[in-house]
Amino acid sequence: MNAVEIRNLSKNFGAKQAVCGLEMTVPMGAIYGFIGENGSGKSTTEKMICGLIPTSGGTIKLYGKDYKDEAVRAKVGVLIEAPGCFPGLSVWENMMLQATNLGIEEAEKEVVRVLKRVRMEGAAGNKFKNCSLGMKQRVGIAMALLGDPTLLVLDEPLNGLDADGMRIMREVLRDIVKDGTRSVVVSSHLLGELQKVATHYGIIRHGKMIREMTAEELDTSCRTYVAMQNADMSRSKMLLGCKFSRVEEDEAGYLRVYDETTPEEIVTYLYENGICVTEIKTDKIGLEEYYIDLMKEGK
Amino acid sequence: MENQVKFESVSFGKRLGSMVRVDFRRMGKSKIFYILLACALVIPVLITVMMTMMDGSVSVNPQTGVETVMEGPENTWQSIGTLPTAGTENGQATAMGGMDVMGMCNINMMFMLTAVFICLFISEDFKSGYAKNLFAVRAKKSEYVISKTLSGFVCGALMLLAYFIGAMLGGAISGLSFELSTLNTGNIVMCILAKIFLMLVFISIFVLISVAAKQKTWLCLCGSLAAGMLLFMMVGMITPLGSTILNVLFCLACGMLFALGLGTISAVVLKKSSLV
Repeated sequence: MNAVEIRNLSKNFGAKQAVCGLEMTVPMGAIYGFIGENGSGKSTTEKMICGLIPTSGGTIKLYGKDYKDEAVRAKVGVLIEAPGCFPGLSVWENMMLQATNLGIEEAEKEVVRVLKRVRMEGAAGNKFKNCSLGMKQRVGIAMALLGDPTLLVLDEPLNGLDADGMRIMREVLRDIVKDGTRSVVVSSHLLGELQKVATHYGIIRHGKMIREMTAEELDTSCRTYVAMQNADMSRSKMLLGCKFSRVEEDEAGYLRVYDETTPEEIVTYLYENGICVTEIKTDKIGLEEYYIDLMKEGK
Repeated sequence: MENQVKFESVSFGKRLGSMVRVDFRRMGKSKIFYILLACALVIPVLITVMMTMMDGSVSVNPQTGVETVMEGPENTWQSIGTLPTAGTENGQATAMGGMDVMGMCNINMMFMLTAVFICLFISEDFKSGYAKNLFAVRAKKSEYVISKTLSGFVCGALMLLAYFIGAMLGGAISGLSFELSTLNTGNIVMCILAKIFLMLVFISIFVLISVAAKQKTWLCLCGSLAAGMLLFMMVGMITPLGSTILNVLFCLACGMLFALGLGTISAVVLKKSSLV
């Protein structure tokens, strides 16, 4: 049984088709990184999973049941775009309202637990409108964690979080899925951060799922490259460009050769042309580069 | 062996109960609720005192030279409805055509004030994003509509009672008569009860307009006040000062019917439209 199973999902906004024929499978116990460009249909899909907008076609199943099933819905934790809190009420009051809404019996205990989890227990008395962006995001995460949800749907939860917040977020996500039954769907543009926690990926483009894979599959799909530095980078680039098909300079000032080669071959080749390599290493492209490559291929 | 996940079903009563508790807690913490309640209490005092002070004053139109004599209230109960006079039956006939100041500025204004409360209450749900949290964990939109109708009903009833108390205070301060003429206390109680039940009709309309307009507060307000104005004159006719149990039952039946019918439509609107 999968946590989320979406088949042939579509959503039209008038003449505009935001999602068309989307297929998506989130296994149980997965942290599913949902990636796509702005306007690709990520948030629309997440909103449909959460029942916030009606679908135009297709099916959504959560843990084998229809997504409208009351019992399943009650175990979904959500953070879509921004936390839904009343600005004039305190963090504590907002949390208590949601806890009451969820019918949690020991609401106060549960609120204390989740606020502690996101290290916000000290700010419980603050009015929500007076919280910083990062604090608001933490409150949103805490709210999504209320009632020990089986499925968490988080849309851009890392926005505005500081380094500590990001670390807490990673801990929380890993903690949630560790029993193997609960799952998380998380969309973010911070691909580096996402790669640190995601066990599965789904890449969406123009409302269609273009690739779904596990973290292991991503690892094997990511090409290796040789990166090097020397005193004459512009001449090296020219020389390597003559021999290899793809040579690029990265942000750190390294020359990267993406063709199938070895550091020895590059060192020898440049040495023969009078250039001495000062530093050379092999590495793999990350999720961000893989995603950019995939988008370029599509275009 | 594959991991199994069990989901417990929560009864309708429990779900509705928790939602109603949230709405009442919110209402208790809402500034606008207390402001409107204070207005409901103060408005009748001010109107009664001012109208009594202006009683008999003459204003002349400088262009036409026509003189208008201001007529203040003679009886405290005029803040609630029109007292029966010779040739009318239980004040109904006068109430039908009553376009005088006291005919407009009476307890029936509370139906409009309730519209303001419901519009702000519901649109805040959508504006703040609270609706996202709510509907993500609840598929049944009818529970939301019932909860809002109930909280609106309680608010409306409290406003009517506050206005009633304010009217009594205003009458006492202005030294107006509390004479009931041909009516009795039972009629007054029935009148207030009928108005409270009739409030359900208005609330159903306001809730429907508010869930359709969602975060567009101005649209909720304009729509609700316009709809309220259309039905405003009806209130005096259906709930005269000389109301009987029949008026109460009629208002109760109307209220239930409207709440059921328009409530269903409101739930369908929520189901078919985007909630964010």
